[in-house]
Amino acid sequence: MRSGRPSPAMRAALHAVITFIGLVLVMPASARPQAEVPLPNKPDSLHFAVIGDNGNGEKPQYEIGEQMSDWYTRFEFPIVLMMGDNIYGSDRPQDFVKKFEAPYKALLDKGVKFYASLGNHDSREQRYYKLFNMDGKLYYSFKAPKEDVRFFALESTYPDQDQIKWVEEELKKSGEKWKIAFFHHPLYSSAGTHGSTLKLRAVLEPLFIQYNVSLVLNGHDHTYERIKPQNGIQYFVEGSSGQLRSGDLRKGSPLTAFGNDTERTFMLMEISGDTLTFNTIDRKGKVIDSGTVERRK
Amino acid sequence: MSARTAVLTAVLLILPLVLGASPQRAQAVNANAATINEFVKRVDVYVALHKKLESTLPPLGKQTDPRQIDTHERALAKLIQGARTNAKPGDLFQPDMQRLVRHLLAPVFRGKDGAQIKSEIMDNEYKGSVKLVVNGRYPDEVPISTVPPQVLSELPKLPEELEYRFIRSNMILFDPHAHIIADFIERAFQ
Repeated sequence: MRSGRPSPAMRAALHAVITFIGLVLVMPASARPQAEVPLPNKPDSLHFAVIGDNGNGEKPQYEIGEQMSDWYTRFEFPIVLMMGDNIYGSDRPQDFVKKFEAPYKALLDKGVKFYASLGNHDSREQRYYKLFNMDGKLYYSFKAPKEDVRFFALESTYPDQDQIKWVEEELKKSGEKWKIAFFHHPLYSSAGTHGSTLKLRAVLEPLFIQYNVSLVLNGHDHTYERIKPQNGIQYFVEGSSGQLRSGDLRKGSPLTAFGNDTERTFMLMEISGDTLTFNTIDRKGKVIDSGTVERRK
Repeated sequence: MSARTAVLTAVLLILPLVLGASPQRAQAVNANAATINEFVKRVDVYVALHKKLESTLPPLGKQTDPRQIDTHERALAKLIQGARTNAKPGDLFQPDMQRLVRHLLAPVFRGKDGAQIKSEIMDNEYKGSVKLVVNGRYPDEVPISTVPPQVLSELPKLPEELEYRFIRSNMILFDPHAHIIADFIERAFQ
């Protein structure tokens, strides 16, 4: 005859489930496990990678480079966007090898093109370096090889009137469905070291809103952070592809949708039609964040 | 006098008349115009020298390699240093201009957003000491400061051969092509 009381095994299982639910409820959003959204990997979609604050020439940078190459074998991306601080410290010719060409050699050999924006640790003359594809310009835009996408690389350490005017004109004349801006200083960040660059935000954000920018990618803070959409725009901070500032994210920040300040990361993105799918990956190849972004219309 | 200088001077001279300012205020504006005029003139001389010397070097391609970038940068720095052997602090930022820059920046840093602007400039990433030297190479280990748009809008516009930057509270005139410090103002803001 079966008893009405649950068996000890069942009670233990029930207890585990209740404990798990309780833990999830009390955990900050930034620490909650996410249901992984795989990259669709469609043949005609645009694939690209994102790295930031990478160029220190240290072991973790090389490990991220290896992971990028490993992922490339199953998710080919012809483009890498660089959020700045591409070459820390001295930038003699040998530094370009140690801090850029060697860590990403496998990708460079496969013909992957890196598009750089400059950070506060970068010499302005990096704009002439052919592998950064800046064509001698401090700020520039380019059309993606697939899908209806235009990227805008800005120079956020010296936002003079000429550049702001250029940003507005370039955004205005861009007819692409997806407009994606990338530059070093984050307009939104919950990191304690730098945080949001409010003065730059006051100038750029109105333009991004007016001209339908859907996605903004930044670095500078040595963390990874997915910001809750602001005025319909999705912002990411990817500043941990070489550097890392452990414990720098302010817990409970109202800006954070998801954050990580314990691991080096890079991002892979795929745009197919009106949807962008992203995966954020750590040094061991583990996806720590993922999701989708719809373009602004 | 360049066209830029002439326009700037004309605007600064006419402005008080148009606005019906007091004679004392008009006098101050005229003094500021003269100071800026002199600064722009000195910047123009520097940039003319920079361009002349740079034109003697093999042109830098827009898509080149690090060795050529480094060679060009250091060769230009050497030529400028050789042509400005007697350069000293204050040659470009004359004392009147130093006072004016501090005067123009004071309300920006004292304003309600002053603390935020200051923290964006200061950054605090580099903890070591820095010795400022006119014509000296900008130290590789020191990050380049950001200059918020609100600060740039207070200062006379510069040609692309020079930029305003900060190392701590000191403002420098940075020559990015040669990667050298052309001049500086100590304690440009409090």
